[in-house]
Amino acid sequence: MLSQFSETIKTELLNSLLRIVGVPFALRNARAAILLLFLALTVCAPFLSAQGPTAQGLDPAALLKPATNTWPTYNGDYSGRRFSPLDQINATNISSLTLAWIFPVHIAEIKSTPLEVNGVLYFTTPDNVWAVDARFGREVWHYQRKSEGDHIGNRGLGMYKNWLYFTTPDAHMICLDAKDGTVRWNVELADPKLGYFATMAPLVVRNHVIAGVSGDVTDVRGFLESLDPDTGAIQWRWYTEPDPGQPGSETWPKDSDALLHGGGMTWMTGTYDPELNLLYWGTGNPNPVLVGEGREGDNLYTCSIVALNPDTGKLVWYFQPSPHDVHDWDAVETPVLFDAQFQGKPRKLLAQASRNSFFFVLDRTNGQHLVTAPFIDQTWASGVDSRGRPIAKPEAAPSPDGVLVEPSSDGGTNWMAPSFDPQTGLFYVNSRRIFSVFYRTTEGKAEGWGGRDRNLWANSTLRALDYKTGKVVWNHELGRGSTIAGILTTAGHLLFTADNSGNLLALDPAAGKTLWHLNVGGELVASPMTYQLDGRQYLIVPVQDILYAFALPDHVATPRPSSR
Amino acid sequence: MHSDAKALHRQARKWPTFLLALIFFLGLWNSTAQPRSQAQDMPAKDPAVERGRQQFGQSCGFCHGPDATGARGPDLVRSPLVAHDVKGNLIGEVIRRGRPDKGMPPLASMTDEQVADIAAFLHERAKESLESAGIPRAYPVEKLLTGNADAGKTFFNGAGGCKNCHSPTGDLAGVVGKYSPVELEARMLYPGRRKEGPRSTALVTLRSGEQIKGQVVHADDFVVSLRDASGWYRSFSRDRVKVELQDPLAAHRELLDKLTQADVHNLFAYLASLK
Repeated sequence: MLSQFSETIKTELLNSLLRIVGVPFALRNARAAILLLFLALTVCAPFLSAQGPTAQGLDPAALLKPATNTWPTYNGDYSGRRFSPLDQINATNISSLTLAWIFPVHIAEIKSTPLEVNGVLYFTTPDNVWAVDARFGREVWHYQRKSEGDHIGNRGLGMYKNWLYFTTPDAHMICLDAKDGTVRWNVELADPKLGYFATMAPLVVRNHVIAGVSGDVTDVRGFLESLDPDTGAIQWRWYTEPDPGQPGSETWPKDSDALLHGGGMTWMTGTYDPELNLLYWGTGNPNPVLVGEGREGDNLYTCSIVALNPDTGKLVWYFQPSPHDVHDWDAVETPVLFDAQFQGKPRKLLAQASRNSFFFVLDRTNGQHLVTAPFIDQTWASGVDSRGRPIAKPEAAPSPDGVLVEPSSDGGTNWMAPSFDPQTGLFYVNSRRIFSVFYRTTEGKAEGWGGRDRNLWANSTLRALDYKTGKVVWNHELGRGSTIAGILTTAGHLLFTADNSGNLLALDPAAGKTLWHLNVGGELVASPMTYQLDGRQYLIVPVQDILYAFALPDHVATPRPSSR
Repeated sequence: MHSDAKALHRQARKWPTFLLALIFFLGLWNSTAQPRSQAQDMPAKDPAVERGRQQFGQSCGFCHGPDATGARGPDLVRSPLVAHDVKGNLIGEVIRRGRPDKGMPPLASMTDEQVADIAAFLHERAKESLESAGIPRAYPVEKLLTGNADAGKTFFNGAGGCKNCHSPTGDLAGVVGKYSPVELEARMLYPGRRKEGPRSTALVTLRSGEQIKGQVVHADDFVVSLRDASGWYRSFSRDRVKVELQDPLAAHRELLDKLTQADVHNLFAYLASLK
């Protein structure tokens, strides 16, 4: 057991080191370096294994490492790439993948991505948090707090030392003791009577717990805020709409209450670059949702990607995928961070496949726009302006007699996790063709939505994009309907997701071919995640209200495929 | 706003649960494909709301607008105070005391009944704002009739290719009365969302050369299953057979890529003109 444990540590450390020195991109040229590292690690192994985890809380340093034995935050790490350096489960042995355990919650669909810290999984549904043994699938504790408000979903938790952070349908943030699920504190983020609720997984950056809010059936002001992890006290609050007179306010009508009722919810977890100390966040649609009259202008900073200082909440730069949106196309999809070559130079990049069906690549140091390209068919934009923003056709705006638009308000993609695989250099997004007729139904001053679209035909497809151009490199059809399945890629040359027929899929990330599938009798409405414990890699997939854990049988897992 | 539970659930992420329930009960759910009935569409208005509307118009409308969306005074539909009010407990105090610092005079003579009526009206306005996220089933056909029926007829018989499968005196006879206008327009564009919609057929060729044809029950990358001519269910692993799928809605999907907004409105005007 001990030697197996130290082997695990070695593998994980090796992977970490390879990632840190940028090896995945230059794997073939680095064999000598790998051998040297192996030798070094073999010598160090006795010392390393003695440093096995003793405390049960989250070591803050784990947040800065690639996710291997720990998955400490919504996306696994701060980058949002959803790429795991684990490779025990890999393209050569995937056909042996088998069930490790099943944990049904019998309450609601699991839309969260579990955290995994020191052998315990922590995951949520609205009003509910579970701690479950990550090796054996047995419940450690279950916390429940019934609440009013929108129960559409909950994406998961944030963690700081021994504490978990959970948002609720009545827009509270609750701090729980990870040991037993007892409440440490409970604060209200926003007034649920005004239409606010919360679904997002908080993001912990050092001693900041970053929380966003949801709700656009009423015209309220979106914001992002930072809470003290020990007390819940507000450290800063950044409003999506600037205060009157501040930069950005000129993109709203003067002498009107539109600015302070402009929406822009912050309902998905953002990403973070520790070196630049910048927090990246997507914001939602402006309000009223489908009616632009009364809020003429670009409506900053709605439907935007913003870079904020996590210590002050001050805006550093922004980019707006959908200026003056009238189709509910939140730009909240994960802003994915990676370092890669662009036009011959190494760049710090940020990429988003946005709900408006366009893929954007920015320089994340300063927000400079690099790429704008549609990743799937769309009919609403006539071109791209000099700043890289799609140009909306005026005739695509909702009208009383209905206007046929692709995509629908559900978008060309949505909140489901995309992935960037440094081994292939490809960006993956589950996308949809959805035609819809948008009706503006209200007359006079619109409040709330002011209209709605009626969906027609939908079809889903996984697209692998070249980040340098946005061009589709390969395409994998997922079937009729609109997918909300997320994606995980791994160093085992695998891409995990699901189709619209209840099949879990493992694809070849280089070409999109199916390597493994299993009919699990339900749809993946969240995103897969993975971790390795005691030398065994687990793949966790929530399927509706059931958590499935897969692993390799011992005889397949034990001869490690490190010689690949 | 979608009949499939997943899409409904997703779109509803921004909907308070009580509101969803309310809208279901009021029968405003726009995609429920039940025969149209105007009587069912209009919920009975609370008389207090109508009294409140009149009272508000007389006493408050000059500053707050007759629909309460604001004029010189603030928009009360999105007012936090109204959101927290229960049957006038907060609104009444503001009406009677006024807001002298903001130029609102007190209306001290307002009776309890009048305050309750105004509160009922303001809550109704807030509810209407929430409900604007749905298309009412009673959405009037006149709003959709912006096209030219003759042009629609030409498109139907010509470029649209509609007449290849449809006939105004055949399958489309009486179609106007079957659906709400918005539903009719949606089904005109793509009729495949309903379970009763036309199904794909599959022709499966076994390695032996035997062929089985039937209505598709399920098809994905790995499996195709169908009901054969005798009505029995049969399933096949797709890597062992040859499968040809025929989708009767393929022409609709191809058309979606080509339609202009004018085509949509003209075609709808033509369809709505069929009696």
